[in-house]
Amino acid sequence: MERPPDFNNKSLLMQTEKGFKSEVINIVKLTAQEKLFQIRILGSCEREKFTFLPGQFVMLELPGCGEVPISISSSPSNREFIGLCVRKAGKVTGMLHRLEPGAMVGIRGPLGTHFPMQKMVGRNILLIAGGLGIAPLRSPIYWVNEHRSEYKDITILYGVKEPGQILFDYQFEEWRKIYDLNLLTIVQNPDENWKGKVGLITELFEDISIDPEDTFAIVCGPPVMFKFICAHLADIGIPRQRMFVSLERRMHCGMGKCCRCNVGSTFTCLDGPVFDYWTVMNLKEAI
Amino acid sequence: MLFKTITKENFKKMVEGLLEENEVIGPRSRDQDLEGNKIYRFLKVNSFEELEMDYTRSYSSPKNYFLPFKEDFATYRLEDNNWEQEIRYTVHPRVIIGMRACDINALLKLDQVMLKSVYPNPYYFARRQNTLIIGLDHEPLEDCFCRSMNTDTAFHGFDLFLTDIGDKYFVAINSDTAYIIINQFDAREVTEEDQERFKTVKEQIKSKFKTQVDITILPELMDLEFESEVWKKWGDKCLSCGSCAMVCPTCYCYGIEEDTNLTFTKATKRRFLYSCNLLDFAAVAGGHNFRPEAHIRLKYRYYHQFRGFVEAFNQSLCVGCNRCGKACLAGISPKAVIDDLIKTEKNEY
Amino acid sequence: MKYSGITLKKPKVGFFDFTGCEGCQLQITNKEENLKALFGLVEVVNFREISSERRDDYEIAFIDGCITTDSEVARLKKIREQAGILVAMGACACLGGVNNLRSRFPLPDVVKEVYDGHHVDTGPVRKVAEIVPVDIELPGCPISKHEFEWLVRHLVLGIEPQFPKYPVCVECKQRLNSCVLDMGMMCLGPVTRAGCNAVCPRNRLGCWGCRGPSEEANFESLMEILREKGFTEEHIAERVKFFNAFSGILNSDC
Ligand SMILES: Cc1cc2nc3c(=O)[nH]c(=O)nc-3n(C[C@H](O)[C@H](O)[C@H](O)COP(=O)(O)OP(=O)(O)OC[C@H]3O[C@@H](n4cnc5c(N)ncnc54)[C@H](O)[C@@H]3O)c2cc1C
Ligand code: SF4
Ligand code: SF4
Ligand code: SF4
Ligand code: SF4
Repeated sequence: MERPPDFNNKSLLMQTEKGFKSEVINIVKLTAQEKLFQIRILGSCEREKFTFLPGQFVMLELPGCGEVPISISSSPSNREFIGLCVRKAGKVTGMLHRLEPGAMVGIRGPLGTHFPMQKMVGRNILLIAGGLGIAPLRSPIYWVNEHRSEYKDITILYGVKEPGQILFDYQFEEWRKIYDLNLLTIVQNPDENWKGKVGLITELFEDISIDPEDTFAIVCGPPVMFKFICAHLADIGIPRQRMFVSLERRMHCGMGKCCRCNVGSTFTCLDGPVFDYWTVMNLKEAI
Repeated sequence: MLFKTITKENFKKMVEGLLEENEVIGPRSRDQDLEGNKIYRFLKVNSFEELEMDYTRSYSSPKNYFLPFKEDFATYRLEDNNWEQEIRYTVHPRVIIGMRACDINALLKLDQVMLKSVYPNPYYFARRQNTLIIGLDHEPLEDCFCRSMNTDTAFHGFDLFLTDIGDKYFVAINSDTAYIIINQFDAREVTEEDQERFKTVKEQIKSKFKTQVDITILPELMDLEFESEVWKKWGDKCLSCGSCAMVCPTCYCYGIEEDTNLTFTKATKRRFLYSCNLLDFAAVAGGHNFRPEAHIRLKYRYYHQFRGFVEAFNQSLCVGCNRCGKACLAGISPKAVIDDLIKTEKNEY
Repeated sequence: MKYSGITLKKPKVGFFDFTGCEGCQLQITNKEENLKALFGLVEVVNFREISSERRDDYEIAFIDGCITTDSEVARLKKIREQAGILVAMGACACLGGVNNLRSRFPLPDVVKEVYDGHHVDTGPVRKVAEIVPVDIELPGCPISKHEFEWLVRHLVLGIEPQFPKYPVCVECKQRLNSCVLDMGMMCLGPVTRAGCNAVCPRNRLGCWGCRGPSEEANFESLMEILREKGFTEEHIAERVKFFNAFSGILNSDC
């Protein structure tokens, strides 16, 4: 009796679970909660293959522990290693924080949509970050620096709860002086050493002038934050399709299958994480 | 499509032939409910006699033979600072007998997500390719609403599809493999009489649909009635037990977990079927839950079935089998919920 | 022992039995083939069931059984003082368990009935958490060996274990069981924490709730369903009180 044909060896499909094996080459402790992992993909061929655009993320895996989505926080032109800034939040991220340089991790990706840097050419860019939201913004910041002449004014607004939570402050001088960016910071609950501005991030709008006709905005941070910010920016006249936010949802597959990252009628991992604000406004449960 | 007929006697021989070499899955009953009705499910059959071709509805859909409840995606060998990943998606050839048109349509919908999207799922692909599907027509039950969902007939997605026309089956043949197999068992050309009988049976089936669900403006309704009290009304009854998604032929949400062995030398990455009705479906690290309440989760299940999937693939995800309605202890069924939504829209409350 | 280059320390553990059937400890020791690997992960300094060694420098204490006597209360408090992590293991320790059935009758009557009037030192049945703070509850009657091993791995790795939050029905449906409620039997599966792979419904018994309530379980809805199905208040109460898992959810008069 005949068997149905066996297609086991005929599958030419991509092994979706196969990631790039990578070595953790350096770990920078940023705060008590966040560390920056510099990760180098093994094999020069694989390393060549891995290219990404600002705003995309990877699934970072520690075999036996689990896999988590993390935004890429380094320059797309850096082909030596990629930077991932990880906050200690639970099982996998907690374990990652205990790794030493030399540890092997897996990365799948790059996944998701990106900030449309091409569309912004010739315009001002306003980058707004709350808390850990600065991590995914580092990639577009590197990008604009490397293509500095193509863009007009670049302004970064960065707000955190406490001064101790400020990330990447060691780069601020470089960003201001060499990158020629206007960077403003603000904290909610200052300590005695804090000399800067105090309050909510929206208060930084008083200190800058925005040309709504000629500005794109990128907003990263907790949902409450971008809700207020995008509403404000829409009020002053920036079209909603020129504002970009990065959404965060629970995620297991990163490939539009597990449904965990669903927002309204779509998925954060496929149609996002970067959405324009018009889309976000019209997605149920997005904000 | 090619049609033939096969006598029930020869069909039996064919199944026995298939049983020799393959794992055969088919409808079998195990228990009875309070009214004395048999409770069927798709299980491995060892002989033709175990197969119940006159079954009504399987309690749970056969989707688990394509998307297992639990499945290993990868295994790892761990040593000190290093590891090796191994991925395998080989499956044994399998035959499933007795799948309904709705179940076959359900597979076609799963194909959209699992095969025809950006990242085709190789595990599903392997199972899909290595399964021979023999479909079977039946007269609709009281609560079947597949006709409303346009899934009461299947035109592809199977190898053979049988319609009982008395002493023989009228067979639609949809693959070369199936053609070769059935021809070994004296399959005959369709006569004019066969064709007449086939038409009569189909007419009969058509006339027996009792339940209708009006989906004309359902996608719009899902948005318009997003804040409706209807969700709260049903959500308060919902046990967040996930039974609906487990038995549904199309619900495919899942989770992934990784674990090691006792000596930390081996690890596995496992996919497990999940349900959007379960409490922590959308909970993230740090304690925030994007869908903290039962009615919000219930709403999302419907939103995905009747709105999200429509946007992505121009069709509802639901095939109208009402297995979820049957399995739900709280009596939550698509018919009841959608009728309620329509009534609110018309202000009939 | 290493995992991903992280050196893992073997925690010192002790096992302590209180009033119970010791079924949980038996669960741990009965799967011979894994035993060596399991006890290779930890340093057992106190476990009556397997060794005579008794040391009091344990970091993790596993408690099984419920607490009934004053001397048990004192012993438990001492263990709590020593242990960095205290694990209540099994339905008796986590919930009070079957022993709690006794609490339905006046204590003197129980002593008379069970011990024929001989003097015994016994008090009300209490779960561990009523006496001392509990860090981790490992549910089940008895506990599952598989879950115990999983827990030990987590303790060694220093990860907080996450038990299923969803109810037994999920696993029951995954095993393609017939729902026993459809068959006229009572089941608490919809409000009971999963993890047992629905063994009872699998054997057509209905769930008794030995693993305690699932998170944010919808009791009201299940009670309504059970009443609609014709179960009497007494029948429901008997089932719900069996493991003492759902105290406080029934009308106080039943
Ligand atoms: C597109 C995207 C980009 C992100 N970028 C960063 C980043 O750059 N830096 C950073 O520190 N964090 C980032 N996160 C959040 C990060 O993924 C979670 O903090 C992390 O998954 C928590 O995993 P855990 O195992 O430590 O926590 P647990 O609570 O143990 O979570 C268990 C599992 O749930 C899922 N999960 C839990 N919380 C989240 C969450 N917030 N988002 C997605 N999945 C979750 C994961 O699959 C995880 O393995 C990002 C999330 C998304 C969706
Ligand atoms: S709708 Fe019904 S079956 Fe689904 S989770 Fe709610 S109670 Fe369970
Ligand atoms: S009726 Fe219910 S079980 Fe059947 S396909 Fe639709 S949602 Fe799924
Ligand atoms: S038998 Fe019990 S656990 Fe299983 S589905 Fe029915 S109610 Fe749920
Ligand atoms: S089905 Fe219920 S009573 Fe049985 S082991 Fe599981 S939780 Fe305990």
